[in-house]
Amino acid sequence: MEDVKVFSYKQMISSKKNKVIKLTGIMLLLLIATFILSMNLGVIRLSPWEVTKTFFGFGTHKQQLILFDFRLPRIVIAILIGAGLSVSGAIMQGISRNPLADPGILGINAGAGFAVVTFILFFTRVANQSIFLLPLVALVGGFTAAILIYTLSIKNGAVSPVRMILVGIGIGMLFNAFILLFQMKMQYHQFMSAAIWLAGSIYGSNWKFVLALLPWILILLPYALYKANILNVMNLGEQNATGLGVMIERERFLLSITAVALASACVSIGGGISFVGLVSPHLARRLVGPRHEYLIPVSAVIGSILLLVSDMFARQLLAPNEIPTGIVVAVIGAPYFLYLLARSDS
Amino acid sequence: MSVITTKNLDIGYAERTIVKGLNIEIPKGKITALVGGNGSGKSTILKTIARILKPQNGGVYLNGESIHNQSTKSVAKKLAILPQNPTAPEGLTVAELVSYGRFPHQKKFGTLAKEDYEMIEWALEATGMTIFAQRPLSSLSGGQRQKAWIAMALAQGTDTILLDEPTTFLDMAHQFEVLNLLKKLNSEQKQTIVMVVHDLNHATRFAHYMIAIKDGKVVKEGKTIDVTKPDILREVFGICADIIYDPKTGVPLVMPYDVICDSSKSHLHSLKEVAAL
Repeated sequence: MEDVKVFSYKQMISSKKNKVIKLTGIMLLLLIATFILSMNLGVIRLSPWEVTKTFFGFGTHKQQLILFDFRLPRIVIAILIGAGLSVSGAIMQGISRNPLADPGILGINAGAGFAVVTFILFFTRVANQSIFLLPLVALVGGFTAAILIYTLSIKNGAVSPVRMILVGIGIGMLFNAFILLFQMKMQYHQFMSAAIWLAGSIYGSNWKFVLALLPWILILLPYALYKANILNVMNLGEQNATGLGVMIERERFLLSITAVALASACVSIGGGISFVGLVSPHLARRLVGPRHEYLIPVSAVIGSILLLVSDMFARQLLAPNEIPTGIVVAVIGAPYFLYLLARSDS
Repeated sequence: MSVITTKNLDIGYAERTIVKGLNIEIPKGKITALVGGNGSGKSTILKTIARILKPQNGGVYLNGESIHNQSTKSVAKKLAILPQNPTAPEGLTVAELVSYGRFPHQKKFGTLAKEDYEMIEWALEATGMTIFAQRPLSSLSGGQRQKAWIAMALAQGTDTILLDEPTTFLDMAHQFEVLNLLKKLNSEQKQTIVMVVHDLNHATRFAHYMIAIKDGKVVKEGKTIDVTKPDILREVFGICADIIYDPKTGVPLVMPYDVICDSSKSHLHSLKEVAAL
């Protein structure tokens, strides 16, 4: 008698994979739709037809200027930052097993921001000339914050999630206080540009910014995906991960560097944008579950959509004046954070 | 023949030494129970054997080879550990959890080979978890969840499984479900099983071999029947107990009656009295 096979793991995984691919496809379409909509909207409106025409090189000089020099770099940056911050958050949540971890909430962004503001204040000329230095400068600040948070969160050899959040919020406030202090010392125009930058505005974007950010995203995002398996196993806790053969300390170190570097690079270009790194991995987890090979790409796409939509609102809500994107994101993200906080205690 | 030996093992945190000069031998193909009171160091010893804790001095040897001189991945192919009260992320299904057991065998990009699929399905089958394969872990009862974790350890394809109090937090029926599963894996799959057990009667019932520990030192190690003696229990747990033997199996059963040994309180004594009436 032939034994009927009741369960095939291969089948289960491939049907799940198909589901995730379909979902990612739908979300990519959504992203493209937002992209097109975003190119249409602005003080000067371009119809979809004009956008398409201009995109393929048949627009007027003015249309080309608006599309290629103003809107497109801004849109591309929003997409990159949304993806970068989301993946940074997903990694942080993965290695700390802390559902509330986010580079903004943990004060990493503030640390990176502080380093950038300090740099702008003392080396104004260098900062304006070489934007490519900014991610590196931000990285120094981000790491300083991360090391401070980590050492201050350890108690009896263990890092408690709630303690880490509290310490992170404290460190973030400290850095923000220093930023404010430095801003007081700035000239009026320096102050204004720093304030707008800090609130998370991507409005001054041009292709130089895209180029400064792109390599970081192109290297670190695939690297995070490559580590998906290790993140999965680390999700089972330190003891299980060790038992399964993960070199915990080494992997945690490498992944922390990845997460902090992603967040810092994004902050150096986009300013202080919080909550994206919190919200998108959570939404992604609801859609595709906890496995990082799905979680990382899906949160990246969700983050891109989130930031692109927020940026659209930022430009439209009080047009022709603009609200910093970071504030729009916070309006959506902060209540979600409170919701998660309330839920995590139960 | 012993599968795991420790040589002059010192274990501790910072200045506090918990275990000093530990030498134990764990027999191959048997169920071994580590017993002892709270804070005796039994869990610490298990974690050190599983390389979760680093010893201050001495070494742990697996089939004669030091585990500290091998890559952690190659140890993971020979030795699985199930920690106490493990947690999995929300939404993870049983089959996915079990698939994580293949981690030490996977190549860099984590693609599964034919053998991996076979092992996952076999581990589910051997633990009776196939029917729950697609269910999220969080939707299962405590006993089923523990069996899912055991399935993960099994999928790891090791000859030895260490378990840290596998039945704590479970109600009685689930405790026996888990212990019977371990017994089956031992007798059918020839798995060596080492577990920290809280309930002495579970240890006597399911373990072939027992190591009784107090203050980080071995008080007695040997066959279960030789370790389960009133004087040893008194030294290890500070309890006074009668030992009776299950008439069907000959398994020793521990009947503790007090912390002060007053034979007038002994169960056997009262039984004698009952008989006299």
